[in-house]
Amino acid sequence: MSEQVERILSEFQTGGASRQQRMGYVLPALQRVQREFGYIPEEVLHRVADFLGVAEAHVYGVATFYSQFRFSPPGRHPITVCRGTACHVRGSARLLNDLRKRLGIKVGESTPDRDFSLDTIACFGSCALAPVVVIDGKVQGRMNRTKLFKRIDALTAQQEAGPAEAQETQQ
Amino acid sequence: MSLADLQAPAQENWQKLKHGPDPIIWSGLATCGLAAGQAEVLDAVAAALEHNAIRAQVVPVGCIGVCYLEPLMDIEKPGGPRICYAQMTPDKARAVIQSYLVNDDPRPDLALGTLGDGEIAGIPRFFDLPMLKSQVRIVLRNVGLINPEDIDHYIASGGYQGFQQALSMAPEAVIDEVTESGLRGRGGAGFPTGQKWRFARQASGSPKYLICNADEGDPGAFMDRSVLEGDPHSVLEGMLIAGYAIGASEGYIYVRSEYPLAIKRMSIALEQMRNCGLLGENILGSGFDFDIKIKEGAGAFVCGEETALIASIEGKRGMPNPRPPFPATSGLWGKPTNINNVETFANLPVILSRGADWFASYGTEKSKGTKTFSLTGKVKRSGLIEVPMGMSLGDVIFSIGGGIVDDGELKAVQSGGPSGGCLPARLANLPIEYESLAEAGSIMGSGGLVVLDDKTCVVDMARYFLSFTQRESCGKCVPCRLGTKQMEAILEDICAGRGTPEHVTLLTDLARAVKAGSLCGLGQTAPNPVLSTLRYFQDEYDAHIREKRCPAAACWGLFRSPCQHACPVGVDVPGYVGMIAEGRFAEAVDLVRERNPFPAICGRVCTHPCESRCQRAQIDDPIAICSLKRAAADFAAASGHLWQPPLAPSNGRKVAIIGGGPAGLTAAYHLRKRGYAPTVFEAANRLGGMLRWGIPGYRLPDDVLDKEIADIVGLGIDVRTGHAWGRDFTLPGLREQGYEAILLAIGAHHGVDLGMPGEALEGVVDGVRFLRHVNSDEGMRLDGRRVVVIGGGDVAIDAARSALRLGADKVSLVYRRTRAEMPAHASEIAAAEEEGVELQFLLAPQRVVGSDRATGLECLRMSLGEFDDSGRRRPEPVPGSETVIEADLIITAIGQTSDVPLDDRGGLAVSRRGAIEACANSLVTGADGVFAAGDAVTGPDTVIRAIAQGERAAIAIDRYLRGKTLAEEAILVGHAPPQSSGEATDEEAEEEIKECPRAIMPCLDVERRTALFAEVAQGFDREQAIAEANRCLHCERSSHAEPEGGEG
Repeated sequence: MSEQVERILSEFQTGGASRQQRMGYVLPALQRVQREFGYIPEEVLHRVADFLGVAEAHVYGVATFYSQFRFSPPGRHPITVCRGTACHVRGSARLLNDLRKRLGIKVGESTPDRDFSLDTIACFGSCALAPVVVIDGKVQGRMNRTKLFKRIDALTAQQEAGPAEAQETQQ
Repeated sequence: MSLADLQAPAQENWQKLKHGPDPIIWSGLATCGLAAGQAEVLDAVAAALEHNAIRAQVVPVGCIGVCYLEPLMDIEKPGGPRICYAQMTPDKARAVIQSYLVNDDPRPDLALGTLGDGEIAGIPRFFDLPMLKSQVRIVLRNVGLINPEDIDHYIASGGYQGFQQALSMAPEAVIDEVTESGLRGRGGAGFPTGQKWRFARQASGSPKYLICNADEGDPGAFMDRSVLEGDPHSVLEGMLIAGYAIGASEGYIYVRSEYPLAIKRMSIALEQMRNCGLLGENILGSGFDFDIKIKEGAGAFVCGEETALIASIEGKRGMPNPRPPFPATSGLWGKPTNINNVETFANLPVILSRGADWFASYGTEKSKGTKTFSLTGKVKRSGLIEVPMGMSLGDVIFSIGGGIVDDGELKAVQSGGPSGGCLPARLANLPIEYESLAEAGSIMGSGGLVVLDDKTCVVDMARYFLSFTQRESCGKCVPCRLGTKQMEAILEDICAGRGTPEHVTLLTDLARAVKAGSLCGLGQTAPNPVLSTLRYFQDEYDAHIREKRCPAAACWGLFRSPCQHACPVGVDVPGYVGMIAEGRFAEAVDLVRERNPFPAICGRVCTHPCESRCQRAQIDDPIAICSLKRAAADFAAASGHLWQPPLAPSNGRKVAIIGGGPAGLTAAYHLRKRGYAPTVFEAANRLGGMLRWGIPGYRLPDDVLDKEIADIVGLGIDVRTGHAWGRDFTLPGLREQGYEAILLAIGAHHGVDLGMPGEALEGVVDGVRFLRHVNSDEGMRLDGRRVVVIGGGDVAIDAARSALRLGADKVSLVYRRTRAEMPAHASEIAAAEEEGVELQFLLAPQRVVGSDRATGLECLRMSLGEFDDSGRRRPEPVPGSETVIEADLIITAIGQTSDVPLDDRGGLAVSRRGAIEACANSLVTGADGVFAAGDAVTGPDTVIRAIAQGERAAIAIDRYLRGKTLAEEAILVGHAPPQSSGEATDEEAEEEIKECPRAIMPCLDVERRTALFAEVAQGFDREQAIAEANRCLHCERSSHAEPEGGEG
């Protein structure tokens, strides 16, 4: 992992950079880490602070302030339910409740087998297609309980089938 | 490099595309198109092109705004117009390619509209469609029409000419031009843009920064996303103009990370600009240096606030700072900074190229130009629109948006996102402008417009917005951090049935404190949803608090199941449907009768609000609850089942009930159950009220009515028919006879006059009287007659359908508004049409033509004008459009009042429209010991509401007679709280639910129907009933507790 981290950090030119510039790198660096690993491992957070010459407390404060950052690994199939106004008016609260019970986890958690993780987002901006759920990065509109559970069933079957067969059943 | 150097090759490329030999496939590739399945459609297109060996240019475009019909795909054949196809699927795409590109059939059935030059028969012009017609697309001028990833398209469409114009002026002159245009910040606050620039220009410090606020955090808003994805250069050109005007050399676009496609397209656009010399040093040889970088947000709504945004770019937590100093003097890294919204920038190129006057010709005096809106929620045509400032809310919702989905009713529209307010339907004429929205208690905001219908709970909306702002509160200042938390907690209590009247006062006080004391706009506007809903929807808060009732049946914390909650009586719907599913018909009908003693009748004529809230509708169709109730009642009756409800031992105390209709008989039943001795006094010679005299036999057969009434009376209720109030007895007289309480349930049987000339002529009769004749006169016939019915409610429809059955030659119905506004139930209107009633809309009767008897009805055509208090368009007469409908029988059915004897009113208060005034909760009137219920109080209303009123009256009278003070405790009719999570089972969550349509009610053929008064609906058979009942999801079995760990 440390090789990966160093590679990422080298994208930020800190040589001769002013404090202003180094501070300006804090968010982009954290975002880069989040994109790479799917979350911010604690030791990487320390390394980022160290590399940028910025206090750890400051970096920790920034990382925990913004909701984009996770501190535990996401599931293999991250599921995000949109809780925007249009989606709420079209029933996303019930959808979230159903999903929570089906997966047996709270928002922000992953299932014990790490197959799924559940998050919410304030708004995806696809309001005309409410209610919206994002599964594996793919935005799906006009969702309802039946469609959602079908998708989860399919993904669970895929996981159980194993990697080789997963290639075949991939949609 | 000059702009002309760029324009020539750009034009050439554009022409090569538009006039080249290859067909063009314009593909809507914004986030919403992709979410709707555009990727799969494109794969199918690629395969179809290859299969047919066709070479085509596939061009990605942004969202043209008709989002509810995504995926959209346009095909432009050489020499023909561009044709937009909607709701594309891989199959449809293949079909269109085959039929249009291989053969020459453009498939008008799949096409939405044409764009550009040329027309095709059978396909309307795209920009003439109702959703597009009244839009003015300035900001969205290119979105959906050009490829956002090709700068040549932008330049060929006139791009960067505005910037070129700006470069030819002094920076101060550019500021003057923008000031003169009247452009105000489109981010929400509406601060005059020119003035804001002037502050930054005048500030001292270097370098100066320009920031584009592309954070668009409002849930429900996606205008900025669409512009960034569909026409990024319009924003970038605007930034160049602004940067030049204020003297900035560095620009940032702060865009939320949730918009990856927008980020990608902006990056491509910036790269192309650099290659063209439009960014960097000495742009277009002007000496102006400028470059733009993208900064990604990280998921914090508060970073839409200027100082928090700046902090975020500086690598800090997004916490706002007190102003002054304003960013214009001390912003990013302490330097002069100007921040504008995406839409503000997108307006600048056209303001500069076409002039301030041109821009100011749109909009109103103080709100110039146009505004984009994300029109979403319960509206039929949801999507992205752009309208001139000053258009009314109603025009946007109804003319552009097409009105409410599922024939619902408009309740309110929410503008401004979590910072805005809910505006009720009666404000439909409100013009969309900064000042008028603020005065009404909302704000313009960034442009989210969420339409709410009668199924949406405004208290829940306030709670939802508070939970959002509370979560997004940065925590820096106490009023926002703690205030929003407490307001949210109070609203959660109210929505969960734990509300108290003090909560409303507390909520208002907190709201004012948070508004006044918060550091930034987030806290200052967070209370707006609460304050506006309290202002306009106090009654909904009251219902939640005092009656534990959610009128929209949306707050799951208040009820077991929405169907039961929507029922005015609160009958145990899941209970009896569950029994029917197991074939236990007698038990089912007895369960209904615990509360509602008219199951066979309601199973035929009820307006079934329960079905309108059935959750099964989200999967396929709502359960046919009404017809299932009928099935249970009919099968139980056929099997000879005897109804033996438990009755309290008689206490001998007498109660007089005046009126033997549904309200009176229900009250009698519930009083008898409680051990009282009710006597029903009925003026007519038979019981039933409107059930008997108003509803014709083809909807409610006499034998069903007689049996149901006999069952109730048989429980031991004293009945005196032929006893009329005023003529045969008085209220004081009843008291002398030992009646300890009196209930007035006399209904509303007196038809209201139109007050038109000729109304007194022979051949004119009011609807209720007509139906009474029909229902009591066996031999009545109308052969050879020409009948016109005036009105739009159930009485009008019943009169019309009855007239047909009585042999009338022709039956028409005239209504002054349109079909959508008719109060009668949609199924009744459809049945009338099927049977041959001619429905004529937008016609208002003026006078009856004839000398001693009616020969015709003169009407005036109406057209729909502005909105009235009910949120519906008011009909306005079209002068000179008089027309006469030939008729010899005119039936008026425009409303009913009650016949309250003039000389026996005692302390009773009777309203101008003839209704008896009574307390809504306890039904107490102004006279001691006298209660009133049903249509006599409410005016004409549904049977089920009359039944609910009857039960309420019985509960109130029972309390009164036991010496309780009625004002103290609210009477809750049919309140069924949700199961506690301990009892609930979640089995239902595991079963897979297969789609299965609703059972269809077998009906008499149309020809047979009008020959007799036989019942039209035949009823389910046993298998149908059991199968239909098994579709029930049993919502009452799952726990409705809000998810723990909340929203994350």
